[in-house]
Formats: sequence, structure tokens, C-alpha cells
Amino acid sequence: MHVSPLSWIALTCAVVAAVIMLYYLIKRPPLDAAGKSVMMLGVGVLPIMVAMIGNVEGLRATEHQAFCGSCHTMDMHIADANDPESLSLAAIHSRTIKFGDKSCYVCHKDYGMFGYAMTKLGGMGHVYMFLSEYAWYDMEEALPKIHIARPFKNNNCMQCHSTTGKIWNGVADHNGLLEDLRTGATSCASAGCHGYAHPFSKPDEETPSDAEVHSALQHPTPEGT
Amino acid sequence: MNLRAKAEEFLDTASRSRLMVWACVLGLIGLALMSWSLFDQGWIPVMMAMSVGQGIGTLSFALFLVIVLIDLRKAEFRPSIPPREQPMKPTKPMKPLKSKDD
Repeated sequence: MHVSPLSWIALTCAVVAAVIMLYYLIKRPPLDAAGKSVMMLGVGVLPIMVAMIGNVEGLRATEHQAFCGSCHTMDMHIADANDPESLSLAAIHSRTIKFGDKSCYVCHKDYGMFGYAMTKLGGMGHVYMFLSEYAWYDMEEALPKIHIARPFKNNNCMQCHSTTGKIWNGVADHNGLLEDLRTGATSCASAGCHGYAHPFSKPDEETPSDAEVHSALQHPTPEGT
Repeated sequence: MNLRAKAEEFLDTASRSRLMVWACVLGLIGLALMSWSLFDQGWIPVMMAMSVGQGIGTLSFALFLVIVLIDLRKAEFRPSIPPREQPMKPTKPMKPLKSKDD
């Protein structure tokens, strides 16, 4: 367990505020001007500081693997990502410094203008799904049912792999599929390309690309065909 | 009795010390929840701190503000220095106007 310096400041504020409140509860000093000034510190100023620092630290915590892994349904995903022998996309990326113990967040976050807020909103959706359904499943039951909410965007891969480098374009498949990869018509993390990021979870399933899902939504196939 | 009248009645009759006790109890619960997330950064402590903990903490502070409001309603506002009475200046007697006949 690592407690940051900012957290120590928050804890100090919390202890002082708690002492002030306990003192009031035990001694019951008069609520005159001086008493109210002290209570303003104990009930108002210090707890607000704790809350603000708690927000900063809490949001920071949500970027770490430990946070994602605190739901039991993610145990195998985290174990695979941290397995030095694994050759899955998740494991390969988690071994680099840029991803490290934030690999879940770096790969799955939304990179748009309101990306941070949208990612957090998406996370609230995960919490809802976990509480309403997956919390009651054990790992074997949950694994076949867990799906990514939306197809993984190639745009997330392109934050690092810009698709403009000489070596990258030297690969025949990249060169031939350049437009499809940039538009998301072909998923980087599909079975024919680099494979699924978490291959143990859906070994026999084909993951549709972003474009395939959009196309299916715009032109729904009539039932029975 | 409308809502405003009920609120005014509450502010006139509520016990400040009892409100303060509730503020302290709620404040301690809120602080405990918020501090828990600083040690354990799993989803339950973090979510609890940022929702329930902060909600309870806000309620605690709101109760303290109610106490301040009660005090303000009961306070008699008097200026600390009474205004000085301005001495009346003596007025000059006015000269009579000259008429055209003079």
C-alpha cells in the first residue's frame, strides 16, 4: 500500500477535524464566536480539504490496474496483463513504461476532447453492470458473458502507432490496409491481425470492428435471413 | 402552514447544541469514509468516499450553517459607534430685497 504525500496532508486534516469534533461531543463547549470559529474549522474547512484531496487521489486511483482489478471479474485480465510469459496484446503493452500499472486505463480511455469525463462516465456504467449482474457470478460464469461495451477503437492504438512511420508502413499488411485501419474498418485487435488483447476471454469468438458495428446499426439485417 | 413558515418555526425553536452534535456525528462518519479511500484504493472505498462520504460531509456542514443562520436571526445588529449628532449651524439673517421704488 502506497500513501502519497498529498494523502498524508489529507489524513492530517482529517485527524485534526476529528479531534475538534470529538472534543465538542465530549466537552460541549459554548457555541460563542470563538467556539463557532473552531467548529467552522472542524466541520467545514478541514473536511472540505479532505474531500478535495480525496477527489484528486480517488480519480488518480481509478487509472491504476489495482482499481480495475478490485472487481473479481477482472482477476484473469489483470493476471494475464502482468504475466511475463504471456504474449497477449495486453501483456506486451503492460510491460512497457508508458502503460505499466496503468495499462487498462491507457488502452481503454477515451482520447477525445472530453475524454476524461467520458471515460469516467463509462466507468460508472461498468459499476452499474457489476452491481446489477456480474457481482453475483463467479469467474467461470462471468468470463463468457463479459463483453467490451463498444468495439475497441483503432484510434486508441494510433495514439502511439501513428501509421505514418517507415517501419510500420514497411509491413505489407499495414500498407495494404492503411485506409481501413485509419477509419476503423479493420480492427488492429482482431483475430486475423494482432489477435485479441485478452485472448483467454473469447478464444473462439470473432470481434467485430468499429465500422462493422456501425454498418450493422445503420443497415439492420431482417430477422430470419 | 407553508414551507417558509415551517422553516422559520424550525429556526426559532431548534436547539443549536443538538444540531451541532448531529453535525459532528455526521462529520465523523463522512471523514471516516473519505479517509478510508486514501488507504484502500479499490472501487468500493473510492466510490463510497466520492459519493456517500462527501454527501454526509456536506450534510454535516449544512447543519453547521443552519446554526450560524439561527444565530444571525437572533442577533441584534447595532452599530458599534453611535452616529454623532451634527451641530446646527447658525443661519445668517437675510438682507431685505430692494424694491424698484427705492
